[in-house]
Amino acid sequence: MSIQSSNGLKSFRDILFIAAGFLVIMPVLGINRTTDFIIFSIFVMGFNILYGFMGRLSFGHMLYLGCGAYGMTLFTEHVSRNPFLAVIAGICAGVLVGAILGPIVVRTTGACFALINLAFNQIGYFLAVVAFSKYTGGEDGMSVSFSKFGFIDFSNKPFKFGFVLFCLLLTYYLLRKLTSSPYGVLIKSIKENETRVKFLGYNTFVYKWITFIISTALSAFAGALSMLNYGYVTPSFIDPSRAVEVIFAALIGGAGSLYGSIIGGVIYMAISNYLASYIPRWEMFLGFTLLIVVFRFRTGVWGYVSEKFNGRTKAMPVRTL
Amino acid sequence: MINTIAYGLTIGAILFIISIGLSLTFGTMRIVNFAHGLVYTIGAYLIVSVLPIVRNNFILGAIIAVLAVIPISYVIERFVIRKLYGVSIDYAIIATYAVALIGIDAIKWIWGASPIPLSDPVGIDVHFFGITLPLYRLIIIILALVIFFALSVFFKKTMVGKIVVAALDDKDAVRSLGISVDKYFTYVFVIGSSLAALGGVLYAPITSVHPYMGMMVLLVSFAVVIVGGLGNIKGTFISAFVLGMVMAITGRFWGPAAETMVFVVMAIVLIFKPIEV
Repeated sequence: MSIQSSNGLKSFRDILFIAAGFLVIMPVLGINRTTDFIIFSIFVMGFNILYGFMGRLSFGHMLYLGCGAYGMTLFTEHVSRNPFLAVIAGICAGVLVGAILGPIVVRTTGACFALINLAFNQIGYFLAVVAFSKYTGGEDGMSVSFSKFGFIDFSNKPFKFGFVLFCLLLTYYLLRKLTSSPYGVLIKSIKENETRVKFLGYNTFVYKWITFIISTALSAFAGALSMLNYGYVTPSFIDPSRAVEVIFAALIGGAGSLYGSIIGGVIYMAISNYLASYIPRWEMFLGFTLLIVVFRFRTGVWGYVSEKFNGRTKAMPVRTL
Repeated sequence: MINTIAYGLTIGAILFIISIGLSLTFGTMRIVNFAHGLVYTIGAYLIVSVLPIVRNNFILGAIIAVLAVIPISYVIERFVIRKLYGVSIDYAIIATYAVALIGIDAIKWIWGASPIPLSDPVGIDVHFFGITLPLYRLIIIILALVIFFALSVFFKKTMVGKIVVAALDDKDAVRSLGISVDKYFTYVFVIGSSLAALGGVLYAPITSVHPYMGMMVLLVSFAVVIVGGLGNIKGTFISAFVLGMVMAITGRFWGPAAETMVFVVMAIVLIFKPIEV
């Protein structure tokens, strides 16, 4: 009982902390950019649940982001302009794709898992941009517009910011609950040693499938939110060559930690948004940063910080030697 | 139709030359090497720079370009790849991708980001069976066959080749015989990278040279390696030509689908025969 309530208190404190953090950087970066950063952090969390917690590196997660973005756009185009229904439709698109591809994808591990996701992302990109260009607008993309209800108006920037921040906090809270539950322990055990988990009598396939669907659903959620933010879908939302961005963000922040995901998301976005205007060779800088992270700081920024300060939220290295 | 087949054979030949290195590093070291596409791109850029110096002598230029890649690939192997032996495959992917990122940015720094066109070095067409084919493409196909036989002999007859083949099968057993496996892996890596650079040199006159040319080719050659089997020279040879054919035939009927079709084949192969890494 006391552990339960202290856990609840901790997650409440974390939520306040995250909200305060974004409210502090909002005036510095500007409201548009901060909204963008928050959405990307949701995407990183969705990716991290698969990579950091279950130890499966996907090299084609843009597909699931794109599913959310395109699913939502097509929904507003053909069914309803209600923004909330459209976001739910986007998530449903992610869940559907995750449920269909899951049984094929989750049987594999390591490099095979990474590459099969990449293959599906390539196929998805082709379908969205070339094969169904009549419906998706192809290379040009298409715009989205939403109906307004009283104060719910997604062209109002502060409202959009508030809504997106609320979504981030909700996602964080749910994932926090999920990862500290027995289910969370189980998926971490699958990362450590799947054979042993099988010996204990668990059907690991089902758990891996469910985790995969959670990850795709959250990625689609982030995609749908970007549509709320930009109001315009382009092929770059499903472009497989951007799939590395989320990997970098997860790794820089600290794989296997929700805090780390948010920090990584913000750091990566800051590097790609600002560094490009100060350092002309920012890709090179990013490359060296990654090499240093891989060889020296495997637990990422958050892992390093939490180790230094008596490790309250321990970030786990993905797999050490 | 014969033209399509000839085109498919050319693509297959180049894919084979590029994919061998990838297949060997994947097979021996269990590393998914994203830096391989970088070496390919460097090869193509070097031939662009070297050609004016050697007065457009393409063969001499190609030799210089391939030799110049050897120290570069040695540096990559020594300072990045070697540290990744036995580490989780995820870190290997990310580290080699970081190397590719650094290299591509360096290329943009040195040569600029705009594509550089290069003309056909032979410029003669051959006519047979009622079709016209640039002689250059015929040379590429023949070169791929030569490389295939040379490598087959290398892995069957020479000591280095035999050790590498044994290490592909069981690395620990080879190590327990007192053979420094890592040293031979360096050879394999350098050979593979030189061949990738050769692929870049050969492909440069067919397409235009630009910093990101390696990435797309790299993805296709991953497909070749997975379809053909890791570290399997003969399998890579067959799958390169089959996938080259798939690309050419798909491209004939529906141009943009050519590269996607390769990934469809790769996904099907992975579904029925997942690799154990």
